[in-house]
Amino acid sequence: MTYAIQILAAFFGSMGFSLIYNTRRTKMLISALGGAIGWGVYLLVTNFISDSVPLAYFIAAMCITVYAEIFARIKKTPTTTFLVVGIIPMIPGSALYYTMNYAFQNDLQSFFDTGVYTLKAALSLAVGIIVVSTAVHLATAGIRMIKKRTNKSMTEE
Amino acid sequence: MQTEKLLKCVLDLGEQMLICGAEISRVEDTIKRVTAAYGCPGTDVFVITSVIFLSLENEDGTCVTGNRRVTKYDTNLDKLHAYNDLSRKICRTLPDESDVEEEIAKIKAQKPYPLPVGCAIYALTAGAFAVFFGGGWRDAIAAAVIGAIIRIIVYFQSKTKVNMVFNNVVSSAVLTLLAFLTVKAFPGCEASKIIIGGIMLLMPGVALTNSIRDVISGDIVSGMLRFAEAMIIALAIAAGYILVSVVFGGGAI
Repeated sequence: MTYAIQILAAFFGSMGFSLIYNTRRTKMLISALGGAIGWGVYLLVTNFISDSVPLAYFIAAMCITVYAEIFARIKKTPTTTFLVVGIIPMIPGSALYYTMNYAFQNDLQSFFDTGVYTLKAALSLAVGIIVVSTAVHLATAGIRMIKKRTNKSMTEE
Repeated sequence: MQTEKLLKCVLDLGEQMLICGAEISRVEDTIKRVTAAYGCPGTDVFVITSVIFLSLENEDGTCVTGNRRVTKYDTNLDKLHAYNDLSRKICRTLPDESDVEEEIAKIKAQKPYPLPVGCAIYALTAGAFAVFFGGGWRDAIAAAVIGAIIRIIVYFQSKTKVNMVFNNVVSSAVLTLLAFLTVKAFPGCEASKIIIGGIMLLMPGVALTNSIRDVISGDIVSGMLRFAEAMIIALAIAAGYILVSVVFGGGAI
C-alpha cells in the first residue's frame, strides 16, 4: 500500500515538474509516467533483487534513460524532455535535507554517512544515464555507417 | 542567403535553444546542420553554457564571426521542442532570413503558464513530494500551500535580477521558516517532510541532468560549469535552511 502511494506520488510530483518546465499535453503525461516507472523499478530492485540502494538507483536510471530515448524518437523531441523529469523522484532531495540537518546539529558522524550516501546515489544515477546514452550514441553511429555503406553499394551497382 | 544574415539567424536560434535548456551538443549540431544546409563552405562553432562563438566562411574564402552572450536561463521544454522542429524545417525548406526571424519571434512570444496556474503547479509538486518522502496528508497540504508561496517569491525574484545564490538562500529560508510556523500552529505536522517537499522545488534538476549529458558528449567545460552551478545551488539551499534553524530552531553550530 505504501508502495502504491509512493508510486502515485512520484507520478504527480513528476507531472508537476514537467508542468514547471512547460511541457504540454501527451509529452507531459509521458514524462510523468516516466517518473512513476523509474520509482517502480527502484522499488522492485530494492525489494526483490538486492538491498543495495546505489544498485537500485543505477538500474532505475538505466530504465528511465531507455524510456526517454525511445519516446524522444517516437515524439521527435529532445531526450532531455523525458529524462530530466523522469529522474526527478530519484534526485536525492531528502538525503540532502538530512545531510544539512546533521551538519546543523553538529552530528558529524551522521553528517558524513548521509553525505557519502547522497554522493553515492547521485553518482549511480549519473553512471546509469551515461551507460545507456553511450550505448545509444554508439548504436546510432553504427546504423548511420551501415546506411551509408548500403547507399554506396547501391549507387555503385 | 547572405553569410552575414545567416550568421545572425543561427546565432538567434542557438541562443534561444540554450536559454530553453538544450544540451551543448544539440546547439552545436543544430548550428552546423543549418549552415551546411544553406551551403556554407566552412563552419566553426564553439558553445559553452554562457556564450556562443560562430565563424562562417564565404565562397571567396573570407570569414565572418559573431558571438552571443547568454546571461539568463528559462527552462522551457515546449519551446525547445518548437525550436528543434524549426531547425529541421529550415534544413528541409531553406526559407528566407526574414521568415526564419519571424518563426523564431513567434516561438519566443509563446507565453508560459500564468502565475496562478504556476502556483497551482508548485503546490501540486510540493504536496506530492511531501507524500512521496513519507509525509501524511497534513504535511502534504502544508507543503502545497508553502509551494504556492514559493512560486510567488520566485516570480518576484525573476523580476529583480539578483544573483541566483541569494535567491535560493532566500527561498530556502522562507520555506524553512513557514514550515516551522506551521508545526507550531498545527502540532500534527512534521517539519522535515514539509521542508523536503518544498526543497524538491528548488533542486537544480535540469542543471544536474544536463551536466551529465554534456560530459558524455565531450563538452567537459560546460559539464563542469553546470555541475558547479548545481552544487552552488544545493549549498545555497542548505545555507538558507541552517540560517533559519539556528535563529528559530535553537540548535547547535
